[in-house]
Amino acid sequence: MNSVTAIASILLAAILTNNMVLSKFLGICPFLGVSKKTDTAVSMSIAVILVMVVATAVTWPIYTYLLYPNYTYLETIVFILVIAAIVQLIEIVLKRYIKPVYEALGIYLPLITTNCAVLGITMLNITNELSFVESLFNALGAGLGFLLAMVLFSGIREKMETADIPAFLKGLPITLVAAALVSLSFLGFAGIGA
Amino acid sequence: MANFSKQNIKGIVLPAAVLLTICVIISLALALANNVTAGRIAELEEQNQREAMSRLVKAETYEPAAYTTDASDSKSSFTYYIAKNGDEAVAYLFILSTKGYGGDVSVMTAVEPQGSVKAVAILDVSNETPGLGQNAAKESFYSQFAGKTKDISLLKNGAKADKNEIDAVTGATITSTAVTRAVNEALDQFETIKEANADVE
Amino acid sequence: MSNNKFLSVFTNGLVKENPTLRLVLGTCPTLAVTTAAINGIGMGLSATLVLVCSNLVISLLRKVIPDRVRIPAYITIIAGFVTVVQMLVKAFLPSIDKALGIYLPLIVVNCIILARAEMFASKNTPVLSVLDGLGMGIGFTAVLTIMGALRELFGAGTLFSLPITSNFISPMIVFLLPPGGFFVFGMLVAASNAIARKNGKKAVESMGCENCPAKDACGKESCAEEAAEHE
Repeated sequence: MNSVTAIASILLAAILTNNMVLSKFLGICPFLGVSKKTDTAVSMSIAVILVMVVATAVTWPIYTYLLYPNYTYLETIVFILVIAAIVQLIEIVLKRYIKPVYEALGIYLPLITTNCAVLGITMLNITNELSFVESLFNALGAGLGFLLAMVLFSGIREKMETADIPAFLKGLPITLVAAALVSLSFLGFAGIGA
Repeated sequence: MANFSKQNIKGIVLPAAVLLTICVIISLALALANNVTAGRIAELEEQNQREAMSRLVKAETYEPAAYTTDASDSKSSFTYYIAKNGDEAVAYLFILSTKGYGGDVSVMTAVEPQGSVKAVAILDVSNETPGLGQNAAKESFYSQFAGKTKDISLLKNGAKADKNEIDAVTGATITSTAVTRAVNEALDQFETIKEANADVE
Repeated sequence: MSNNKFLSVFTNGLVKENPTLRLVLGTCPTLAVTTAAINGIGMGLSATLVLVCSNLVISLLRKVIPDRVRIPAYITIIAGFVTVVQMLVKAFLPSIDKALGIYLPLIVVNCIILARAEMFASKNTPVLSVLDGLGMGIGFTAVLTIMGALRELFGAGTLFSLPITSNFISPMIVFLLPPGGFFVFGMLVAASNAIARKNGKKAVESMGCENCPAKDACGKESCAEEAAEHE
């Protein structure tokens, strides 16, 4: 029972209060770049969730059993290389065995290697001293939070296409102002999980 | 045939070898850099801790101590420091981390020998929100703990009813709760030591 | 003539191709750590150091690294320098280390660095690559510092921790919170766009693959498709 509530609170915190994009500023590039249409936003997010969970499942044991305690300084370099390898591997496996999924997500996978959200979440799991299971749920929650932010934001951007925007704000500036408002609304979740 | 193997060397073996060499060289360089800086980082941490201790309690020596128990629960074992003037213990120092809003909050609590809080120092709130949670590091907040005893409770805007209450930092209930929890845990640990020592004495 | 070339490579990153405002790269640290001017400087200089070192090494090795493994090789080299910088900051500037937190190791995925490796250092001489790294790094640092100063001034009423308006105006904390980051960056881009338009240059309309110099590095056809969808 206790562990169930603990995991639920980790999930909720990762999705709402500590939202990857809107409060930790991780994965801003796809958030601003790939959010113009809702369906691309969803595909990109699903690819991110997949990579985040698999990357956590691999990096956590590597850190805990191989790097800790004497080689912790290799964390950054090992994690980024492992993530790069995982992305390649997922791509190959999907291409060979699950063609339809590959066709839907394939083009987003290479973009994810240098996505700071993935490296960020694997490192945060270590910094916050989460257990293996907690880490997996934290990664899942962070991915779902990314999905939520992407879907909300792409909806707003689709509406903005037809809005009358002041000339000096056209383009990237208004996108950032809209992001500010979405992130302001997420501040309302701050009390949850205390 | 010979051509084919030559291509293999050029296409697969060589890139792999170069990549491997780069990885090995970088890892060696990192090991070297770590050797150079690790000592200094550890020293710095110790120095910071010492400074924090001497800011909290003026004493001649700060003696590290540990409480261990046979209980299998690892949480019931902990380390602490005793601030001493000569042989007389002036205060007991506990360093505890609790979960705040953005990550861990680290707090050092000095407990008087008779069991009330002497002073509290906030060691690390860098994971908290700047302008809100990080205000817990301000004296107006942490100085409230002085003189309080076991089971301190937190007050969110309202008149003080109980003497053993402190005011939360505005807009940062979670951080304030985390700090309060760390202080309460320190008081609990102090009680544990006292009980254990009473058996001995 | 050749002096001019060195100078133009150096100044390129300062204004014309400012990595943050013109190329819109490295937005994560730009938004995340700029809650105080000093953090902006800390992040900017750490990234500059990594950028200069990695540009130098990648340029020196540009004929040795086989094309097929160049991206993993670049990432390894960059990660190495990031870790060294992380150790140095931890050992000598612990307060900056605490303020930057996880964003310090995340310099490794700062696209500015990989982008300059791919776009510039892999094709140019070591001297030019170092100058390019310096220019880009200083351009990045300048924007981060300005942004940190603005957010600190409005959000805390201080500048480099010295009280400016905090004694008579109650600070607007929201500038220090995530929404403030997005908003201030939006205004900075708007200002930079206005200046660009005045000088007859193109304004930055959106971000994503069309502005990403690493697009050849990350996914070849994927970025082209992505860009097509944006049209």
